[in-house]
Amino acid sequence: MTSLTLPHRPGRIAIATALALAIAALVALVLWAIFTTAAGEPATGSRVDIPHLLRMTSIQAGLTVILSLAVGIVLAWALNRLRFPGRDLVVGLFASAIVTPGMVVAFGLLSIWGRNGWINQASNALFGAPIGNPAFGLSGILLAHVILDGAFAACILLARLDAIPASRLKMGQSLGLTARQRFAIIDWPAMRGTLPGLGAIIFLLAFTSFPIVLMLGGGPANQTLEVAIYAAVQQDFDLHGAVLLALTQIGVCSLVILTASALAPVPTGLGPSVTPTWRDRLPARALAWLILILAMLGFGLPLLSVLADALRGGLGALTSRPAFWWATATSLVIGASSALLTLILAMALALGRAATGNGALRTALGVPAYAYLAVPAVVLSLGFFLLVRNLGIAPGAAAPFVVVIANALLALPFAMATLGPPLEAIVHTRGKLIRSLGLSGWRQLAWVEYPLISRDIGITIALAFCFSLGDLGVIALFGTQDFQTLPLMMYRALGAYRNNDAAAIAAILLIGTIIAFVALPRLFERPAHASR
Amino acid sequence: MVKLTHLALAVLTGLVAAPIHAEEVPILKIYTYDAFAAEWGPAGQLKAGFEAICGGCVVEFIATDSSIGTLRRVQLEGATTEADLIVGLDTAVAGEARATGLFADHGLDLTGLSMPEPWKDQQFVPFDYAHFAFVYDTDTTATPPKSFEELIALPDDFKIVIQDPRSSTPGLGLVLWIKAAYGDRAPEIWAGLKPHILTVTRDWSESYALFLDGEADMALSYTTSPAYHIIEEGDETIHAALFDEGHFPQIEVAGILKSSGKQELARDFLAYLASVDGQKIIPTTNWMFPVVDLGAELNPAFGTLPQPARTLTIPDDEINANAKAWTDEMLAAIQ
Repeated sequence: MTSLTLPHRPGRIAIATALALAIAALVALVLWAIFTTAAGEPATGSRVDIPHLLRMTSIQAGLTVILSLAVGIVLAWALNRLRFPGRDLVVGLFASAIVTPGMVVAFGLLSIWGRNGWINQASNALFGAPIGNPAFGLSGILLAHVILDGAFAACILLARLDAIPASRLKMGQSLGLTARQRFAIIDWPAMRGTLPGLGAIIFLLAFTSFPIVLMLGGGPANQTLEVAIYAAVQQDFDLHGAVLLALTQIGVCSLVILTASALAPVPTGLGPSVTPTWRDRLPARALAWLILILAMLGFGLPLLSVLADALRGGLGALTSRPAFWWATATSLVIGASSALLTLILAMALALGRAATGNGALRTALGVPAYAYLAVPAVVLSLGFFLLVRNLGIAPGAAAPFVVVIANALLALPFAMATLGPPLEAIVHTRGKLIRSLGLSGWRQLAWVEYPLISRDIGITIALAFCFSLGDLGVIALFGTQDFQTLPLMMYRALGAYRNNDAAAIAAILLIGTIIAFVALPRLFERPAHASR
Repeated sequence: MVKLTHLALAVLTGLVAAPIHAEEVPILKIYTYDAFAAEWGPAGQLKAGFEAICGGCVVEFIATDSSIGTLRRVQLEGATTEADLIVGLDTAVAGEARATGLFADHGLDLTGLSMPEPWKDQQFVPFDYAHFAFVYDTDTTATPPKSFEELIALPDDFKIVIQDPRSSTPGLGLVLWIKAAYGDRAPEIWAGLKPHILTVTRDWSESYALFLDGEADMALSYTTSPAYHIIEEGDETIHAALFDEGHFPQIEVAGILKSSGKQELARDFLAYLASVDGQKIIPTTNWMFPVVDLGAELNPAFGTLPQPARTLTIPDDEINANAKAWTDEMLAAIQ
């Protein structure tokens, strides 16, 4: 049935399949490189209680998913209904949470909720007693993860809500739908297609979150498989064990990914962002404002404290260093390269996925996007290092390329979650039209798809660009004293007692991220609108 | 195709700024850890200092993310490694490094060094040291505990932050410290510390930041940490708590790889590293004590730092054989 409505695009399916296979092959090669290196060594017994780790991590990650999605849905609903000056800035602030280095968010959280944080200080001043310290233990991990992931979920879901066609809203309004009815009949179907993929991403992020879980977890009772893998590679140099643990992690993650891919219904409803004419009654509007204010306090304050810290430390000392500007330039080039690569990969995969009516193929094409989230960073780093060496390339020279590839893979699931649902909705709602007009693949892209998803493309580029500002785990072994990006400089400053410089860099990263999220979606949206 | 790859490499690695050297100039390649090679670290000054006296050589520092990472990289590269030296292992991994058989004897006379214990190692040359210690802030902690047992006896809301021994050198150092001080009683000490442990971080820097932010009363660090705050910030409120049991030292070492074709140059570098000229760079860049007596050349702030009365040690072959078991013992006790 579907094959009748879908435009016939074997080229797109072939390209997507080839890319998916290439990514899967890359992961296989990385593991194979480690395995062959380990072949000469005797296998030592693993000292990790895997069932215990899996249980703890799954509980933590499962709770993170539920809380983040709930927060995301509520917040997206509120933001969709409200129009106010600076709305884009607020959305940019929320979007920036997930791409800000996790440690920065964790420290921001502590300066609000920690023992010496703003809330405890205020409570001490007002009531003479602190409220306690909720920032450590499982509650701390969940708080940090919900700040990181809940705000991201809200941004992705908001894009879906903002894309509801005006005609549908007009119809709803003329039927006199209440706020609750509109949510059930119009909003929920628009968001539903995104939820499984989003949930899977959040689960994987929480499942593999390493420094945050370790720092806020309060001890080895709350830890992830990733810590054990890190120990196997770095401390024990037990490569056999590392590969086996990595395979365990990949196995669990694949299960989650496959479930999510299979569950995801084909989304409907799509259109460019419009200024809604919808007006809810007063209670619903009051609720939306309340949610927004709470979210601003919950998400905004920790990030605000990062900026406040930087001002206290002083930016002057940092900006007078040539190394800072060099690192900034490097970050921008790396960010732009990996954003471009991410966009190409995500578009090719998402277009191919949308073009197929075969459920199994659709699932299979969605899976490789998650490679970077499922494979532990320390294993990827080791594998990339061995691969590069086996190819006879100097590791130092390969470092920028490896970072670009790794960053693109890291951003890929997020890019797929942004671009996938609208592209599928297009071929399902406009497939017949495209077939009857006999459009070629390129014209379909240029005339139908690009105008409808231009804003999502901007979001994708912003995401990928900012992600690549934040992740460096993969070049651990590459030997890189001249190759320095801003987050690397930040970690080096932290490691050398220079907390003020680190705070200043964190603030600059945060500001850059917010600017990217405000500017890039607009930049791409404008020309598309003008052409109509 | 190869040309194309090279072109692409050249375009992107313009950022990496690979220097081009004339062929006859020997290049000494040194693997080290991140913070050592960072612009605040000692690498830049050591490079300039040695290049001025080696009579036409170039020093290149190649940094991995951690101290243990340098050893792992050399192990992965085996005989094909381009490294001549590793600078930045410590005595906790020296035994394991020695057991790989990759390191050559240094052949230097090191009797002139000034260290807590006389130095006898044939392969590794020490270049700085400090004792592990808990640091505290005199504004918030008037009387710090004077032993692990005093720390355990404090109310539970007196919090410390430590590092994971599986990912951090000081983290492993604390495991060895408690083992050296208490032997078979170590699990009992760890169980006693458990209610005081706010959290166990991956790296030293996270623990230290938590401490500076006031989230914990003490952080596992070094006896030399206060020197940074005195010298760079004029802040004299950060102190290291001395414990009656004695303290376990971290001694950072350097070694020559057998596979290096520049044994003599590498040996000259180690001699320079352990000389007064090399050592005077270390204290205010790596924030550790020098291994020679620098006299007036040592920043006076270091002279004011209290030193532990007793230095605890464990032979490195014993560390090599037991580190994993002791780490598991610690993890089980605070689980």
